[in-house]
Amino acid sequence: MTSVDAAHPVDRYFLDEQFIFEQLGSFSVDNFGRCVHTGNDTGPGTQTWQRSRMLGLMKTTAAILWEVNTPWSVEEIELDDPKDGEVLVKLAASGMCHSDEHLTTGDLPFGLPIIGGHEGAGVVEKVGTGVSWLEPGDHVVFGFIPSCGRCPSCSTGHQNLCDLGALMAIGRQVNGEARHHARGQDLGLMCMLGTFSKHTVVNEASCIKIEKDVPLDRACLLGCGVVTGWGSAVYAAEVRPGDTVAVVGVGGIGANAIQGAKLAGAKRIIAIDPVEFKREKAMEFGATHTAASMTEAFGLIQEISWGQMANKVIMTMGVGSGAVLNEAAALAAKRGRIVITNIHPAMEMSANISLLDLTLMEKQVVGSLFGSGNPRADIPKLIGLYREGQLDLDGLVTRTYPLEGVNEGYEDMRDGKNIRGVLVYE
Amino acid sequence: MKTKAAVLWGIGQEWKIEEIEVDAPKTGEVLVEWKAAGLCHSDEHLVTGDMALPDEVTAAMGMPSFFPIVGGHEGAGIVVEVGSDVRSVKAGDHVSASFIPSCGRCRYCSTGRQNLCNTGGGTFKPGMITDGTSRHRVGSHELNMMAKVGTFANHACVAEASVIRIEPDIPLTAACLVSCGVATGWGSAVYRAEVKPGDTVVVVGTGGIGMNAVQGAKMAGAKRVIAVDVSEFKREKAMEFGATHTFSSMAEAIPAVNEMTWGEMADKVIMAPGVMRGEMMAEAMALVGKGGTCVVTGVSPMTDVGAAVNLFELAMWNKEIKGTIFGSGNPRFDIPNLLRMYQDGDLKLDELVTETYSLDEINRGYQDMRDDKNIRGVVLY
Repeated sequence: MTSVDAAHPVDRYFLDEQFIFEQLGSFSVDNFGRCVHTGNDTGPGTQTWQRSRMLGLMKTTAAILWEVNTPWSVEEIELDDPKDGEVLVKLAASGMCHSDEHLTTGDLPFGLPIIGGHEGAGVVEKVGTGVSWLEPGDHVVFGFIPSCGRCPSCSTGHQNLCDLGALMAIGRQVNGEARHHARGQDLGLMCMLGTFSKHTVVNEASCIKIEKDVPLDRACLLGCGVVTGWGSAVYAAEVRPGDTVAVVGVGGIGANAIQGAKLAGAKRIIAIDPVEFKREKAMEFGATHTAASMTEAFGLIQEISWGQMANKVIMTMGVGSGAVLNEAAALAAKRGRIVITNIHPAMEMSANISLLDLTLMEKQVVGSLFGSGNPRADIPKLIGLYREGQLDLDGLVTRTYPLEGVNEGYEDMRDGKNIRGVLVYE
Repeated sequence: MKTKAAVLWGIGQEWKIEEIEVDAPKTGEVLVEWKAAGLCHSDEHLVTGDMALPDEVTAAMGMPSFFPIVGGHEGAGIVVEVGSDVRSVKAGDHVSASFIPSCGRCRYCSTGRQNLCNTGGGTFKPGMITDGTSRHRVGSHELNMMAKVGTFANHACVAEASVIRIEPDIPLTAACLVSCGVATGWGSAVYRAEVKPGDTVVVVGTGGIGMNAVQGAKMAGAKRVIAVDVSEFKREKAMEFGATHTFSSMAEAIPAVNEMTWGEMADKVIMAPGVMRGEMMAEAMALVGKGGTCVVTGVSPMTDVGAAVNLFELAMWNKEIKGTIFGSGNPRFDIPNLLRMYQDGDLKLDELVTETYSLDEINRGYQDMRDDKNIRGVVLY
């Protein structure tokens, strides 16, 4: 690279790391390794705040996390108009994904305060300048990762790794500004989306237009969990007809990994989860066997595969743990592939695995984000499968809640009561 | 504004240099001053009618006439002005043309197949791909633009989707070649044929496409790169670009490849002749070994159907035939990527250019191409 033009619209987003650092400049890392907002560019009296007072005429309701290990606070917020390249969306529904829970535990060290939620679907209310492909009334699902369509990753079929994703940890708009404000402060947005809100402003890169007859309280799940699970089996694990597949953890991700493995022609799908309700559900989604733990599954898979073990092991636990990777590797066959989809704590720096076993048995450990899929191709594709009855979305939703019930919903998730809980706004 | 352009008024005619009128860019459009344009064989395919429907046919199909058309689909230049909603380039940026636009949103763009972008179909119809209306006129005639970039015009209004920003220190002559021929040839070997280390590769036709298939095959680790071309000059050039053997015809190559591979024949055969013909497939498939691949890159006449392929052998020897456009690459990734390789000295681009011409000399340039004098001719403004 010969030159970087800081003022250039493309350089600024994709090439100039300095821009990102500038944005990060108002954040610092606290003693717990978390990203904390320390800048003086917000708060009453500051320029950002005054501008939002002038422009932020719209009020809506959102669930905000002010500090880690505290409940979500549902309160009124002020929302600015969408600016260049942005879209104001009236949300109809939002999934309650485990990743938002990772915000409250601090496993995902994003800046606070933040509006949670990254699985959303709704109706476009207003578009900013420069957005020519969306108009008010359009139905959209948010991809939890933006896709610009122009960077090297987007250009080669890896939209899940779009360069704009670098801005996700900042939780602001692409240009670094905040459009959401409460209690005199700017609010961050989970994944630049903030779907635990009845309205939000996001970049067009996060929007995927869908047909108007798709139920939005189902479509919202496609923004993250469904594609992540389904793609973990289909794209990352590359399940082939006849494969033996183990899925470790049957929540919102694992249930869809089971559906993906089934559609890809797996001969045996072993669902592993300590919760009996989830094991029962797993059988409905296409599992052929279940086990309560990896230890229990080891003997089972050994027996049913005549000692060959699983061709693919997909890790979709609530929270990943490097300590148990050896158990997952033990389930894998020669040349078996272990896909790490679940989120591990950010500060976990080691994993327990025999590298000799990796070499001698040619096992593979691969990471996968968004199931290694492409939001703009896979969200419409999976809607098509849902229409044809080849993907069960209805069965995923155990219970719906109003926005005010967000803390109850997460309590139910922690208690293992839900495959998926969904917030429905109207 | 007014500018100069090479216009083709109908099949079988010569390029005519005309003063044309160009409108200002509208939403999602860019006004570009082209600085260099490649004389690619596909523009010649317009002249011969291989790639253009005659007026009788378009009239019968109820379509507007393909002509008059400004030629040129390989180009590099400088952005003069941008319309509203344009974010990826600004005035003063250096850009390469992309003869296939890439919207970045359709199913194909979203899965790493920008060469098949859904907006590509619009490039065969007159009018902008943005809104279907025309921005270019000569006298009272609305002008069609080759591949919607029309690089044989000094200035052209094109869709944002059809331009790719490049670094300002890259010579625009090199960039213009990458925008079609180089990427198409290189990708035919690397992406479509998937040449692997140790492969035996035959490249049939070593013009602007085939020469880059030779470079791609060499870079991918081919053991043998066998160049086939009737022109002695091109065979000599092919050796400079990485070929290990050359032959003047496929008939001559067949027994030689048989001998050098101990009867296994070629793993990959890439067809890049000036004009592809169905009957060439008989010899091409004879060059392909068991489980081997034949990639068809060369453009055959639009209305031709049928190919001389023994389907018994195709099935029994597990052979495959694959088509490719833009070498199955992605313009927004591959154009900058290939230019980087050029800057690092890994890819020969300057050596491709045999002669440069002014726009007024364009007919002489195409005559030189027909006379096999050029690997590549380039128009410089």
